[in-house]
Amino acid sequence: MQTVTTPKLERKHMSSAQPDDPDHAAALLALVANEQSRQAFSELFHYFAPRLKAYATRQFGNEQTAMDLVQETMTNVWNKAHLFKPDRGSASTWIFTIARNIRFDFLRKNKHRQHDLSADELWPVLAETNDSLDDDYALDDDLLMQQLAGYCESLPKAQRTVIELIYVEGKSQQEVADALGIPLGTVKSRTRLALQKLRELINSDD
Amino acid sequence: MIKFHPSEQHLFHYVTGDLTPAMLMMVGTHVDMCPHCQNEIQHIEESLAQKVFGQAQVPAELTEQVSFFDGESMLASIMSQTPKRITPVMRQDVPNELVLEGKRFQLPGTLARNQHRVGEWQKILGQMWRAPVHVGGEDVLTFIYMDKDTRVPEHTHKGREATLVVNGVFNDERSEYRDGDFIFVDDSVIHTPETRHEDCLTLSALDAPMHFTSGLSRLLNPFSSLFFK
Ligand SMILES: [Zn+2]
Repeated sequence: MQTVTTPKLERKHMSSAQPDDPDHAAALLALVANEQSRQAFSELFHYFAPRLKAYATRQFGNEQTAMDLVQETMTNVWNKAHLFKPDRGSASTWIFTIARNIRFDFLRKNKHRQHDLSADELWPVLAETNDSLDDDYALDDDLLMQQLAGYCESLPKAQRTVIELIYVEGKSQQEVADALGIPLGTVKSRTRLALQKLRELINSDD
Repeated sequence: MIKFHPSEQHLFHYVTGDLTPAMLMMVGTHVDMCPHCQNEIQHIEESLAQKVFGQAQVPAELTEQVSFFDGESMLASIMSQTPKRITPVMRQDVPNELVLEGKRFQLPGTLARNQHRVGEWQKILGQMWRAPVHVGGEDVLTFIYMDKDTRVPEHTHKGREATLVVNGVFNDERSEYRDGDFIFVDDSVIHTPETRHEDCLTLSALDAPMHFTSGLSRLLNPFSSLFFK
């Protein structure tokens, strides 16, 4: 059985940059998000999992609960890496807040309290919303995805690409700018123009 | 401009989740409204993350507790899942508006996400209304709405009271409080909150019922637990 907690073995897996380097950790998360890279995730896991376990063991004083916290935290990192926003903080801070939420819910469940808050209601770390958009860009509630897809067909190609990346893939405007290699201002104006056009199309249909 | 903030300790324990549910709601709502404290929160999160993950090696005293770590099988089981990618992201507007006496109030994120916990509004005194916010725990979390020119009878607290201005202005003997201001008083303080030309929506967390001291006290004290509990 491999004990990844021993520094010697841990080092063996590492390339020159380690996940304690914030840029490297962010790059690994991006690889997990975009390509489901197993190698990138393994590297993150070998760094973060033993430290999470040490933290959780101290918090709970119970090894099984600690292991559950590690598993749940790292599962979220694997499944939800696309929700990490590098402009909002480091990868390790993001992973810490995921672990904090899981710890909070573990403690709450142990107390069997009906009304108690859930971690998501307090800290929406993993909420699947796109709050990087300004309110002006918010689409009306009742607009259906399918309807939208139909209307998108009639948008100019450049605007359509931006809309798809933001609303379908859930990227932030900054990420779209980076991905397309265009200025953030251009992404914003394309978004605004596209949504304006969409609103017109939708209204003319009523 | 927000003048009154939660203490450093409140912010720290908000980040770790180690406040009562009522205080988590109070501090969280203040943070929603306060860029200064958002910044503080970020620093606290970073330093805690650094503490948990920052060591180049897991310290020996911790690895001793971590006797057995079956990392490889856990890793394999996690990666056997297919990540749920490309979730259609249509903004689901959280109902973030509170309508009271014909007035509309925008609720900060923490309150908006917990709006389903707000109980029924009741008129308590003259131009004051209250609604409980059911968050569990020992403390009592309450919305209090005061119309303009309303005065709360002078009172002290057996325990501690935190008040957050969600919208509007109120005054007491010491200062004026506006949107986002967070006030924390203990049992040594006697105060008389009042509104003047504007109405005020506040959120209040009490860890013990209020104790009224003014001439109205005899009238009010038997009811204070009804009003605020
Ligand atoms: Zn503040």
